[in-house]
Amino acid sequence: MTIYTIAYKNLLRKKTRTALTAGGIALSAWVLATLLGFNRGYQQGLNKDIDNMGFQVLLTAKGCPYEAATLMLKGGVGLRYMPADVVKTVFKNPEVDKVTPMLMHGVFDPNKGENGAIAAYLGVDAASFPGMKPYLDFKQGGWFTDNQAYEAVLGYEAAELEQREVGDKLLIPGVARDIRVVGILNRSGTQDDGTIFLPITTVQNLFNRRGMLTGLGIRVKKGADISALENRLYDLPDVQVVSMAQVKSTIMNLVNSARVIVLGIAGIAIIIAMAGVINTILMSVMERYAEIGIIKSMGALPLDIFRMIWMETALLCGFGGAAGIGLAFVTARLAEAAVRYFLPYAPNGALVALDWRISGFAFLLITAGGLASGIYPAWRAARVRPLEAIRSEGE
Amino acid sequence: MKTIFLLLMLAGLSPRAFGAVGCDLNDPDRDAARLFPGYTAYKTRYVSLRPGGAAQLARVEKRLGDKFKGLYENIEVPYTLYEIYRGKELAGYIHGVNQKGEYGGIQVFLALDPKGVIKSFYIQKLTSRAAQELRAKEFGAQFEGLSLKDFESYDPVAGKAPAGSPAAGIKGPPAAGKDFSAVMRAVKKNLILMDEFVFAGKAK
Repeated sequence: MTIYTIAYKNLLRKKTRTALTAGGIALSAWVLATLLGFNRGYQQGLNKDIDNMGFQVLLTAKGCPYEAATLMLKGGVGLRYMPADVVKTVFKNPEVDKVTPMLMHGVFDPNKGENGAIAAYLGVDAASFPGMKPYLDFKQGGWFTDNQAYEAVLGYEAAELEQREVGDKLLIPGVARDIRVVGILNRSGTQDDGTIFLPITTVQNLFNRRGMLTGLGIRVKKGADISALENRLYDLPDVQVVSMAQVKSTIMNLVNSARVIVLGIAGIAIIIAMAGVINTILMSVMERYAEIGIIKSMGALPLDIFRMIWMETALLCGFGGAAGIGLAFVTARLAEAAVRYFLPYAPNGALVALDWRISGFAFLLITAGGLASGIYPAWRAARVRPLEAIRSEGE
Repeated sequence: MKTIFLLLMLAGLSPRAFGAVGCDLNDPDRDAARLFPGYTAYKTRYVSLRPGGAAQLARVEKRLGDKFKGLYENIEVPYTLYEIYRGKELAGYIHGVNQKGEYGGIQVFLALDPKGVIKSFYIQKLTSRAAQELRAKEFGAQFEGLSLKDFESYDPVAGKAPAGSPAAGIKGPPAAGKDFSAVMRAVKKNLILMDEFVFAGKAK
């Protein structure tokens, strides 16, 4: 019989107590793994959302930059305009690789919902926009024939909601002319899924916004100094510069503040679980006081007893930690749904990204904590005096 | 244990598994009060063609006179059925369906009495050049008092009802174009589904 078998059998002697203690450890491991997975998933999702925009810098007309960034991330509207000739000015900068002009326009549709609602249309340049968004592929059809065509490309969800297919018509409230659907995008997991794209000149003509833009996406050349470009763009009149890196860091700062609090709570949960481990093992040692004395009188060394008790702690933490991490994998989607429900903005993609590194780290942390908590009970057991212990059984 | 496992499995399923789209009232409390004045309570039931399988779908298509198409018309679509009560007495039902229109999706709700006769007609979502006219009280009032038997002869493919039939008496706004036919198809589909889910079972 090995020391592992003895430790395992000892744990099985008080099944309920062992299960409750392992359950406490499992919960701590679950919280820890889920939080670490969330941290990773949120950051990955945010990076992907921002990278999928296809540009690193966005120019918009003057206004609140945070509002502009949020609206943009949500695929919403920013109804301030800048002149279209800003494109030429921006192109003069050596860092600029490509630019794509955009014009977002919202139209009040009195027949949408109970009291009417805004329907938004994004005018994009048929030549430059597709190149900026290489990840967009088509379920049906393709991009517009030219920038003046009365054609529309619908994001996957926009098409689903309106039950549109290529060849169907699209009605813009207040516009006499029908728009023909020429393309339906595949699901991209980005804000583009809910967007209705029209050629930019068509949007400018339809809504009497000739020569106006709401946004200009700028892709910077590889290795170019983005900060230098941004500093020069700040000098342009009546436009504001939204740096995707800044947007990312602002959102991450907000999320990190919340994470510190939640990690603090997870830390407390781990400490409570560890206290439970000390209590359980210590109680087990006390109950087996005489038994330990007999083992020692039969020749076991203090180190053997220490190892036996410590092994019990290791097994308890190992089982509990593994169960908790398994639970984190199983409930990742539920946790994700809860986070999406409570957070005002959550990026697309898996929000709880668990992998073997996170799982391994959480498991090692929980097991190490457990082993540390097992030192005192094991030390107490190792110090048991055989004769005193055996005598106490009779008393 | 089995139940817990099943629940966990469900939680882990991809959202695509629930991809079929149903048709719910946006504000059931308000709509139930409007469509059934003096109601005291309602129960929400979710029904679908899934239990009846392909045979039931084929029967519904045959009765409709047209094939089901797309995301809003398949065997997986969950239909929300509101049972309306006045005290302990069943006052009627509210049931809606999605329908593809000329310019977008249309959601057509019917308030039915316990025998399946239309009490009220209500379009919740609509994109149409004749949206105002199709939502007008006068247009909706033409459906009141009709039931499934009045729509049985309506041909949704041709968009016509035999002359002299009650459905032929329903006049669409001139500007509605194909959206009028879409609304008529939605009403017939709605009544057939209600018959399948509620009334046919009661008759048995």
